[in-house]
Amino acid sequence: MKRLLRLSFRNKDLPPFSCEFAGRRRRVLDLPLIAWLTLIWVLLWSSPNPANLLTGAIVAVAVCLAFPLPRVDLGLRLHPWGILMLAGYLLYDMYTSGVRVTRQIFVDHPHRAAVIAVPLRCRSDLMLAATAVAVSNVPGGSVVEVRRATATVFLHVLDADRPAVLDAARRSVWRLERLTVRAFGTADEIARVAAPSPPTAPDREADA
Amino acid sequence: MSVWLQILDLAGAALVFVGAAICLLGVIGMLRLPDVLSRSHAATKPQTLGMLLVLAGVALRLRSGMDLATLALIGFFQLMTGPVAAHLVARSAYRTGQIDHGELLFDELDEQLTEEN
Repeated sequence: MKRLLRLSFRNKDLPPFSCEFAGRRRRVLDLPLIAWLTLIWVLLWSSPNPANLLTGAIVAVAVCLAFPLPRVDLGLRLHPWGILMLAGYLLYDMYTSGVRVTRQIFVDHPHRAAVIAVPLRCRSDLMLAATAVAVSNVPGGSVVEVRRATATVFLHVLDADRPAVLDAARRSVWRLERLTVRAFGTADEIARVAAPSPPTAPDREADA
Repeated sequence: MSVWLQILDLAGAALVFVGAAICLLGVIGMLRLPDVLSRSHAATKPQTLGMLLVLAGVALRLRSGMDLATLALIGFFQLMTGPVAAHLVARSAYRTGQIDHGELLFDELDEQLTEEN
């Protein structure tokens, strides 16, 4: 008889922490994702009673079956200390960002903006996305475009007529990348961002 | 004891007020700045900070575990979705030619896009 449910620790070709439904169509359920969706459901109802847990789990499984996600290699690791550092820096940066944008709003002389390219050191999709999200929450720039093939982030920077501002924007992106990777990255990526020299910047930096 | 509760209430009210004021600054920035990309700075950054301050203020006044968790969830989604929305607006504005390239000091993205074509 065909088994209806298969767990990943019995079957090596499934990703870790997942189970497989052998129905008409093959569906792979990601157990951490289901746990996270259930947690959100319980939080939305704001009471953790068994009925909420049960309906949450049912809804999560139904959602995952109805809208299957493409299988991606996340490479997600959680480093608690790194996450704390990232959160601290983000909060501090968000405060200075608010102050700076406020100042730019009330300054009367027109400032010149620019779009700069900042190459990142990590190539994984997850790190790229996480860094982009972190960058757009902090001062310096808002993300206009992310190029996956070259792992480059394009930022729109206010006040670009001062070279120090451009330099600071690039530096802050690289610092955030380092913090993000130390919070969520694999050992290989952490080693890559720990390299002291930033990647070769485009020629523009030489004359800026 | 009730003195501490009053202090917490007062701090919460102050945080909500400051947060709302910062959101207002964001709106003023939207009105004053010249183009889409600059406005997206003003629309996202002060607004996120203001929102988080309002949430912190509300948390100080509610003070119960489950409500705090819900507020944390709101903050988390705000941080996750705000940048995505801002990025999509900026990207579509850029790609559909809503940007005045003469106003930009230089543009490294345009160079790469034209190199490809």
